[in-house]
Amino acid sequence: MEEKKKLICFKCNKELVPKKTDFSYLGHTFFTEIPKCPQCGLVYLSEEIVKGRISEVEMQLEDK
Amino acid sequence: MLPQGKMAFLHELVKDCLQDEKAFCTVKCPFNLDVRDFIGKLQQGRYNAAYKTYQNTVGFPGIVSLLCPEPCRDVCALKEKGGSVSLKLLEAASMNFARNREPDQYNMPPKPARIAVIGAGPGGLACALRLATRKYKVTVFEKSGHIGGHLNDLPDADILIDDIRLQFKHEILDLRLNSRVTDISALDFDAVYVATGMHGDTFGLSLIAEGHYSTDRDGVFMGGSVTGADVMHAIAQGLSTASAIEGFLKTGRMNHFEPPATETKLTYSAINIIPSEAVRPENGKEYSREEARAEANRCLKCTCDACVRYSPLLGYFRKFPKKITEEVEVSINPSSLDGEATLATRLISTCNYCGLCREVCPKEIDTGEFLLRSHYTMREKGKMPWAFHEFFLRDMEFSTGEASLLLQPREQGELKYLFFPGCQIGASDPRLVMRSYDFLLNNFPSTALLLGCCGAPADWAGDAPSHEEVLKKIRSAWSNLGNPAIVFACATCNLMFRKHLPEMKGVFIYDLIARSAAIPSIPGNKTASVFDPCAARHEDDLQEAIRSIATRAGFRLEPLPMEGRLAECCSYGGQVSVAHPPFAEYTIKKVINRNTNPYITYCSNCRDTFARAGKETMHILDLVFGLEQRPQPTVSERRENRLRLKTMLLKEYENEDFNMEMKESKLTISSGLREKLDAGMILESDILTLIETCEQSGNKILDPEKGSFTGHLQIGNMTFWAEYRVLDGDRYELINCYSHRMKIEE
Repeated sequence: MEEKKKLICFKCNKELVPKKTDFSYLGHTFFTEIPKCPQCGLVYLSEEIVKGRISEVEMQLEDK
Repeated sequence: MLPQGKMAFLHELVKDCLQDEKAFCTVKCPFNLDVRDFIGKLQQGRYNAAYKTYQNTVGFPGIVSLLCPEPCRDVCALKEKGGSVSLKLLEAASMNFARNREPDQYNMPPKPARIAVIGAGPGGLACALRLATRKYKVTVFEKSGHIGGHLNDLPDADILIDDIRLQFKHEILDLRLNSRVTDISALDFDAVYVATGMHGDTFGLSLIAEGHYSTDRDGVFMGGSVTGADVMHAIAQGLSTASAIEGFLKTGRMNHFEPPATETKLTYSAINIIPSEAVRPENGKEYSREEARAEANRCLKCTCDACVRYSPLLGYFRKFPKKITEEVEVSINPSSLDGEATLATRLISTCNYCGLCREVCPKEIDTGEFLLRSHYTMREKGKMPWAFHEFFLRDMEFSTGEASLLLQPREQGELKYLFFPGCQIGASDPRLVMRSYDFLLNNFPSTALLLGCCGAPADWAGDAPSHEEVLKKIRSAWSNLGNPAIVFACATCNLMFRKHLPEMKGVFIYDLIARSAAIPSIPGNKTASVFDPCAARHEDDLQEAIRSIATRAGFRLEPLPMEGRLAECCSYGGQVSVAHPPFAEYTIKKVINRNTNPYITYCSNCRDTFARAGKETMHILDLVFGLEQRPQPTVSERRENRLRLKTMLLKEYENEDFNMEMKESKLTISSGLREKLDAGMILESDILTLIETCEQSGNKILDPEKGSFTGHLQIGNMTFWAEYRVLDGDRYELINCYSHRMKIEE
């Protein structure tokens, strides 16, 4: 599991909190919870998630 | 647009594939024994399974293994290469070492149809056996008082007759000895097989031409020695007639079955013949287990698999053209309920389009062209993931836009040549193009130069509109210059022009160099191998010119196993590295290990790919211009190099200062991170754009512990992330960087 670290939205000066976020790829859409600014909605994706789950789903959709 | 006719033509061509053709020995065998299957089981030491295959095929294994004259020996691919495989001894070994030689017992309900077999010789009994095994009611009429016909006159008669008894062990047979049939019309049966043996009674029947073993009387078949067959063919015909009779009972047609094949389209040239010495049994009679295995291992299991053996794609996936077309077909026209299943997307996107599959195929089946057409279709349907080619299409856009240039020579008058170096050589090292152009101007002063791209990335991506746009640009520049001959430095550009711009003919700079340039000699006596790029496989003169230059430079050349017509792709072709990275790695590894010599090539992609993989490789232009030792550039440096080339050319020939904006110098990047960006095909210029956008908008996330910012930006379809620190002014230290294809719906 990824270690939880404190992340601050620079513009809003708010701490990011996990929130439902929509993603799409190759005509498919889905959602998951990722850190998001509660005020402006700016998101954060760690490299761990990008190289892990996201890359996995990308491959699956490409091979579907 | 897509030439649908051509696609259909290629589909049709695949039907000629010889993959399913029977082996030479199989068609020579009266029983069509599937030798590849039989031998395969022996090779694994599965004697019981091998015996079952043999038993099911020949009916009476004990008889056939003793009496077969081995016609297969005459056609064995090893006949002159160490000796034909001894199938007869191997068949005997399968019997000797099988755990259980008893026939299988099938618990099936009896069938009502009644069949009469006239003659209890080996042929008649073979037919009776097969039908009895299938639970028909079989009655055998034999005029003498014993079974086996003329087998009784042979030296091993007891063994032969015992085999008949063994094979009938579980079957019910109405055997009527001492029963001579005199009038066939008096028999009340659903079908009759006349197998009365040599000089036997034919009852006035004649065989009809269009039916196998069929007579002119409905339901009556005739075969074996009475029709002139030897004992092996008599048994084989008996077994086949059982199928013919079954077909007749089911359909009422006399020829409703497939007789054993006697021909194959397989050719010896399609077989990878590895000579080996025949194994002789130490006891002079029979093989031991070890001997049988060793002999079985000699068998080449002849099949046409040249494409799978040679083509990197077909070999990697272990798929023959028929299978590929089937998978592609269901991807283009999905049969799934949602119409979304595109099974072969990655397969289609993994082809290097190197042409080797067609080159080695005896039927010239062009699976690569089929896949390319499929790529166009999938792209047109919007079913091809954009990610597989976006990087390369953006790169092409850069080469034909920002980095493009047309230079006219100072000399006035009609142009002799237009030098089209392509987008990759300058990206590899701008000096290669500078010095090449200098050479051309010294020898042919009326030579113009066009920096751009031949459109290969768009073609490989199946992107028809982008491809057409690039071709249009080149055509227009060429025609404005008065249609000069082209000087190519890249075999892929030449191939693309031949395919898509056939009116623009040209020469290779290497031919001109071989004819006129002074080649610097390399010190010492070095050995190397020429790695022909796949796009040059049909360029015999070019291959010769390269070898001539290398030899004049002092190299001793050793041939590669795959060169000339059999040239292999370095992995770059088709730009498959994003779609299928493991395949690209597999290909590179395979080709760089063809031998241990340094390679000399004349494709900058081959050169850079191999150099990156640690293989000592030089471009022939490196040799000509004395630039042997140079690093291979990263993806970012490839772009910088193109701009640098443009700047150098403008300064040299137009005395113009072109301000090249080196965005990347604003970024501080560690060498490890730079390698990571290169491997991930992330451009430093994109990262700087990302950071500057975040800085401008303030859309960035602070990690208070590290004091770093993280931001993201979608460029094209790709989303990039950068973690960075702000240094002084507008300079930044990049800490980490990554990208993904998924779009964040913000």
